[in-house]
Amino acid sequence: MPRNRTVRLAVLGSSVQRAAPSGFPSSRSSALKRRIVVGLLVLASLVLITVSFRSSALDGVQGTGATVLRPFEVAADRIARPFADTIGWFRGLVDAKNENEKLRGQNEALRRQLILDEGALQENVQLRKALNFVGPPSIADFDKVHTTVVANSQGAVDESVVIGAGTSNGVQTGSVVVEPLGGPDGSGALVGTVDRVFSHESRVTLLTDSESAVTATDVTNPSVIGAVRRGGGSSDVLILDRVPKIPVVRVGDTIVTAGSLGTGPLESKFPRGIPIGTVASRSASDTTLFQNIQLKPLVDFSSIQNVVVLVPKKGQ
Amino acid sequence: MMDGVKAALVLFVAVLLQLSVLTEYRLFRTASIVLVALLSIALLRGSIFGAVAGFMTGFLLDTGTLGTLGITSLLLTLGGFWIGRYGETTARDRFHAPYVSVAVVTALYLFGQLVLQFMLGEPAPAGLVAHGVPGALVLNLILTLPVYALIRRLFPPLELGDRIREVRLLG
Repeated sequence: MPRNRTVRLAVLGSSVQRAAPSGFPSSRSSALKRRIVVGLLVLASLVLITVSFRSSALDGVQGTGATVLRPFEVAADRIARPFADTIGWFRGLVDAKNENEKLRGQNEALRRQLILDEGALQENVQLRKALNFVGPPSIADFDKVHTTVVANSQGAVDESVVIGAGTSNGVQTGSVVVEPLGGPDGSGALVGTVDRVFSHESRVTLLTDSESAVTATDVTNPSVIGAVRRGGGSSDVLILDRVPKIPVVRVGDTIVTAGSLGTGPLESKFPRGIPIGTVASRSASDTTLFQNIQLKPLVDFSSIQNVVVLVPKKGQ
Repeated sequence: MMDGVKAALVLFVAVLLQLSVLTEYRLFRTASIVLVALLSIALLRGSIFGAVAGFMTGFLLDTGTLGTLGITSLLLTLGGFWIGRYGETTARDRFHAPYVSVAVVTALYLFGQLVLQFMLGEPAPAGLVAHGVPGALVLNLILTLPVYALIRRLFPPLELGDRIREVRLLG
């Protein structure tokens, strides 16, 4: 022992290891108890995954839970809405002047186009009646269920939202979901399809999901038929795939759902004519058979507030 | 008992914020206030508390998003338990503990989710997840500062008297 060191110091400074201090109630419990608790919870999680994934036995529980949670989600959204609107107002103020001038120009062009379109529409209706023409189903052949988004996409990978309508409103798995404004019959651009449905809620897989795809055509050139799906990177960009090089697609063209004729086994679940987006760029190389067409979606998939679900008309 | 009620309320509010408010903005879509709140509670209250809170929170999240039940529960149970153990052993009173916990578990949580989705045969775009990890890390670390401070006020570290149940006499 070195000089000037007391016996007390020698004891405290000895090489004998002290037991790790116990700082929490749970650490007072034995290691066995800790392992049992975490083991049971992991086991319960695995059972939940298995049952939920392989059967619909827990759908009732989940549906009820979601219904109970919904008023709280709506309340949280309402509390946060004024703040979100304030942020949006300031953001809009920054580029309002430039946007205003641009929109005035667009407005004039659209007015002229609308006059032409109304004439063409009247002519179309008369010709259909005269020819007794039976075309593919359109949005007008469906009832519309207006509802709100109650939970947004979670994380970078998830491309789905939860909406506040379910089987009690006539929604089915596979029902087509559109935005409420902008398109024909008061319906807007394509949002996605319902992939899980409960009594009062449904989950909608967005068009930007890597598993989603829809047959589409060019409004100005119906011979262009391809499949719209998510681009390789950002969910801001969709691609119109499988379009041969021959039909001409121009930048700015509007792409809509192609629908399908008849009621065969390969019938498209999307009615014809739902707007999807506009052509943002087009290119073709010598080594590929198809054109590379990028679309700018008409829907801002990151901030969907309200949607319209197309459900079969009652009595159909 | 009181801690349990407080934790349930805090995590319920965090889930509501996550589902309805935070994810409404594209910038914050990769952030997870639920994960940050859960890890903060686990760090302050230990492994069993963290595991149970993680399981319940995961169940609530899966219910709210109509996702496959159990996936988030499994990941949050393990995350809560692990960070709870970290809090019980080496992380006590260390300033960097919440930040280290959030950073590590955020990355593991995202990749864990990817692996589970892959195992269930669901879309599992690894590139997208890898691309989203830096953003999620930054946002969650930014959230850690206020969330941990708030939770530390609600769940003050246990007093010395609460911690020590027995004294060993040396010599």
